[in-house]
Amino acid sequence: MSVIKIDRPGQSVLMMGNEAIARGAIEAGVDFSSAYPGTPSSEILESLARVAEHFGLYAEWSVNEMVSLEAAAAASLTGLRAIVAMKQNGVNVCSDFLMTVNLSGTKGGLVIVACDDPSAISSPNEQDSRNFAKFADLPLLEPATFNEAREMTKYAFELSERLGLPCIIRSVTRISHSRGNVELGELPERKRSPSFEGVSIAGAFVALQHAALHQKLEQAREDFENSKFNWYVGPEGAKFIIVTSGTGWFYSREAVAALGLDSEVGILKIGTTWPLPEKFIIDHLKPANELLIVEEVDDFLEQNIKVLLAEQAKTLGPIEVYGAKSGHLPACGEMNQDKVAKALATIKGVEYSGRDEAYAQRARELVQPYLSPRIPTFCAGCPHRASMWAIKSALKLDGRDGFVTGDIGCYSMGAGPAGYFQLKTIHCMGSGIGLATGFGKLGQFDFNRPVVAVCGDSTFYHAAIPGLINARFNNSNVLMVVLDNAGTAMTGFQPHPGSGIDALGEPAPVVDIEGICRAIGVPVKVRDPFELDEAIEELCDLLQEDGPKVMVFRRRCHLAETKERPQKKVFVDPDKCIGDECGCARFCSRVFNCPGIIWDPTTKKARIDEIVCTGCGVCAYLCPQGAIVIEGN
Amino acid sequence: MEAGKGSTDLEKEVLNAGLCTSCGACVGICPYIKVVKDRVAVIEPCGITDGKCYDFCPRTLTDISELDRRIFGQERSDSSLGPYISIEMAQAKDSKTRNRGQYGGVVSALTAYAMSKGEIGATVLTKPFNESLMPTSVLVEDSSQVLSCAGSNYIASATLARLNEAMKQQTVSLGIVGMPCQILALRKMQASKHENGSKEVKLAIGLFCTWALSYKSFHEFLKGKINPSQIKRLDIPPPPANKLVVVTEAGTLEFPLDEIREFVKPTCGICFDMTSEFADLSVGMVEGVDDWNTLIVRTPEGKMIIDKAKEDGIIETKPLPEANLSHLREASLLKKKRALDEIVKRTGDKNNLLYLRLSDAELRKLR
Ligand SMILES: Cc1cc2nc3c(=O)[nH]c(=O)nc-3n(C[C@H](O)[C@H](O)[C@H](O)COP(=O)(O)OP(=O)(O)OC[C@H]3O[C@@H](n4cnc5c(N)ncnc54)[C@H](O)[C@@H]3O)c2cc1C
Ligand code: SF4
Ligand code: SF4
Repeated sequence: MSVIKIDRPGQSVLMMGNEAIARGAIEAGVDFSSAYPGTPSSEILESLARVAEHFGLYAEWSVNEMVSLEAAAAASLTGLRAIVAMKQNGVNVCSDFLMTVNLSGTKGGLVIVACDDPSAISSPNEQDSRNFAKFADLPLLEPATFNEAREMTKYAFELSERLGLPCIIRSVTRISHSRGNVELGELPERKRSPSFEGVSIAGAFVALQHAALHQKLEQAREDFENSKFNWYVGPEGAKFIIVTSGTGWFYSREAVAALGLDSEVGILKIGTTWPLPEKFIIDHLKPANELLIVEEVDDFLEQNIKVLLAEQAKTLGPIEVYGAKSGHLPACGEMNQDKVAKALATIKGVEYSGRDEAYAQRARELVQPYLSPRIPTFCAGCPHRASMWAIKSALKLDGRDGFVTGDIGCYSMGAGPAGYFQLKTIHCMGSGIGLATGFGKLGQFDFNRPVVAVCGDSTFYHAAIPGLINARFNNSNVLMVVLDNAGTAMTGFQPHPGSGIDALGEPAPVVDIEGICRAIGVPVKVRDPFELDEAIEELCDLLQEDGPKVMVFRRRCHLAETKERPQKKVFVDPDKCIGDECGCARFCSRVFNCPGIIWDPTTKKARIDEIVCTGCGVCAYLCPQGAIVIEGN
Repeated sequence: MEAGKGSTDLEKEVLNAGLCTSCGACVGICPYIKVVKDRVAVIEPCGITDGKCYDFCPRTLTDISELDRRIFGQERSDSSLGPYISIEMAQAKDSKTRNRGQYGGVVSALTAYAMSKGEIGATVLTKPFNESLMPTSVLVEDSSQVLSCAGSNYIASATLARLNEAMKQQTVSLGIVGMPCQILALRKMQASKHENGSKEVKLAIGLFCTWALSYKSFHEFLKGKINPSQIKRLDIPPPPANKLVVVTEAGTLEFPLDEIREFVKPTCGICFDMTSEFADLSVGMVEGVDDWNTLIVRTPEGKMIIDKAKEDGIIETKPLPEANLSHLREASLLKKKRALDEIVKRTGDKNNLLYLRLSDAELRKLR
């Protein structure tokens, strides 16, 4: 049973941060939820979809974050409560709409959850989405604990409704993906009925709208002055205060305790980081003459606090501010207790050694023998490995120094050894084909290298279609390869318009990729990447054609496949394997490099690692000696 | 032969130097070298420094005298046509074979005969037209399928790749029909210190060849003019016609040979062999006689098949007119001389003959 469904107010339940956010939405009586999957945000909609039927709410995986926000805004315009979740890059995608719906305003509570991925563990960039709140003049909340994630979400709906503005919640990986205790609140009766009256138009009397927006933001500030999400702990009249938000709260507390500075350092924790509760902050900073600002990624809080200090210079007097600008803390990467403690120790001139390096070294040495050395690679059985090999082969056979522009998905790993270093560009969703349309038009400047744009099936729907239309419209010489593995594999197999099921697992119409290509007027071929020779030949043929063309490499992610069907047993016939000899030279384990195949240095033969192998069988196709056997074939 | 070279050297010395004939000898051995249409590429260096590919390639060092001694037991006395036992005119007796065949149908007739007699269990042939301008190589395991490969496609085909694959599985003896470069590669395989199945090739029928075309440029040329998938026959009638005849389902077109020559593979300009000098049997046209072939019998194995085929009424032969023979000699010598000139032009050094190693005596005769 889903934890977010439990109807026992007051009970403490262990929840993932994203579940706590979803629970908060449920407690606010959310009606409508939408998202495009993206780490670390995906579990919010997944959790809501799981209980959608139970609570009678609506949940959808949208085609992209822009549409997702627009759809949620529509619900809000009818007075329903709506939540939309996305990773940081999604905020960029939906920002065009965001920068207008802030002006036109909303009706039912509309909450945008932006989950940032500091250190870009699963992202192409690192970004601090809090800047969007300031940019768009929207109220911003930053949960520091799991229970706060729940409470803030619930509150965000109320605030949004009161102001007639979307409200942004900024989470980060360590909130979204960690687990902690959450105290359950009441589950309300949902009773809203939608109606749409009047208009919602940005761009009419913009100056007035913009002024009104600023007024709404002032209202939010007043609300924040007495918010329960802002508090101070520490000695009365502390001269040294840490000002922090989000994950910085726990890190700061630990650091202060670790250094034994409880009696002299106070912590001012701000949960409502835009607009700042100025009076509240000024009140608490009065005694201080030194501040350390602790936050994750940009110096967002730091800069806004500094502005406030400058404005209040007469009242507050000179205050030294430490943080990113002073070089005590980085304005990039994940924050942690150690970084905060080091900064604090440096400023306060106390001893802090953190984790003993010798200990860390010993720990590494002890663990090392049990870890097999692995490069970041595609899973065993992944169709992308074969697709990348096909693309590499075709470009080599083509002989014109062609190259690949990459996109966002599992196949981004194709830039490294997993994909034989084929991808030469990676940016954002849809940028592979976008860049390719440009590269493909440089012939008049004598740049005639063929360009292949790869994109996944989900990415195709999300952002690649306009690029393809552009290629067609401007007759750009590009070959687009859609790596269709039948799902949004990277983020955990959420359905998309090609999957045939919706967010609730119910049957949904399939939006056909080839059909779209044909409608655009671009020739399209479909191949199984495991039939490598045919796939390579077809790619070579397509590369010879002028103008845009599409190859769909269609094969379902093998991990998804093995969940439904028993996997085949694959083994190497050692009598046939020629290993190091001319004619093979360890092709399967050394070059094609599926992690399911290992080289046995004692027998000098390849061997299948039965634990890792998924039974896809592509190596049997590739083995030049027919030494790899699929049982039952 | 030179030792200690592998796919990286092949790529550098042959493929990147534009010397590849697309014969396919290096393809199908391993997963690293692939061919699409007539383009051969090393997809990834394998790391092997003494490889079959380099050893088999007809464009890596090739010692003509040594091959002569190996195959024929002695060095050639005839510099223009290579070692041979006899030269005649020949024709398939079966009219259907003659009609389907490019000229006299001798190649198809002999191939089918050798298979039906059990001399060979299967043959690697090249299907000239298969709804595409590009020929495809096939392993024919039943003599009744031989005729489906009759006719000539002047585009180079990596036929030996099919042979390499067949040799990995095949347990029966094999036959092959190929261009001079392919027969040369076959002989290099058979002479190689690397183990391979080519000793099972018991009958090598070589075609005459002046040059072959590269797919890409020829395809581009024909695009828009005809539908390449409808081609039924290509022919280069003997001089003075000087044209390429393209027969399609929609009608017949003719192109002046001078227009076509720019599509000739660059490697053909340095090719030394017009008459498949290392084959068991070499077959070409007879100038001025439409449905007959010139047949050169070179080895005792070849002679045995011909004798039996004549006895069994599969083919008939008659003497090749003296004028034709001397014409053939001239044409073959001309190809050799041109090749030597072109090689020296490319290397800029009259002692650097790229892949060719000729005895001083041979060289003197040709220069
Ligand atoms: C590229 C090329 C150039 C040639 N140039 C000359 C020339 O200059 N002078 C000359 O006298 N003869 C030349 N020939 C040979 C001639 O065209 C006939 O193939 C030969 O005379 C045999 O005739 P046939 O009637 O016995 O052939 P068929 O009985 O029709 O048999 C022809 C055989 O040729 C094979 N074949 C067809 N296309 C190819 C190919 N692309 N690669 C390898 N094998 C192929 C088929 O497998 C078939 O078995 C050339 C052939 C080719 C393929
Ligand atoms: S063996 Fe044949 S196909 Fe391979 S490189 Fe040499 S000429 Fe080309
Ligand atoms: S001319 Fe020589 S290299 Fe060219 S196809 Fe004919 S035999 Fe091969």
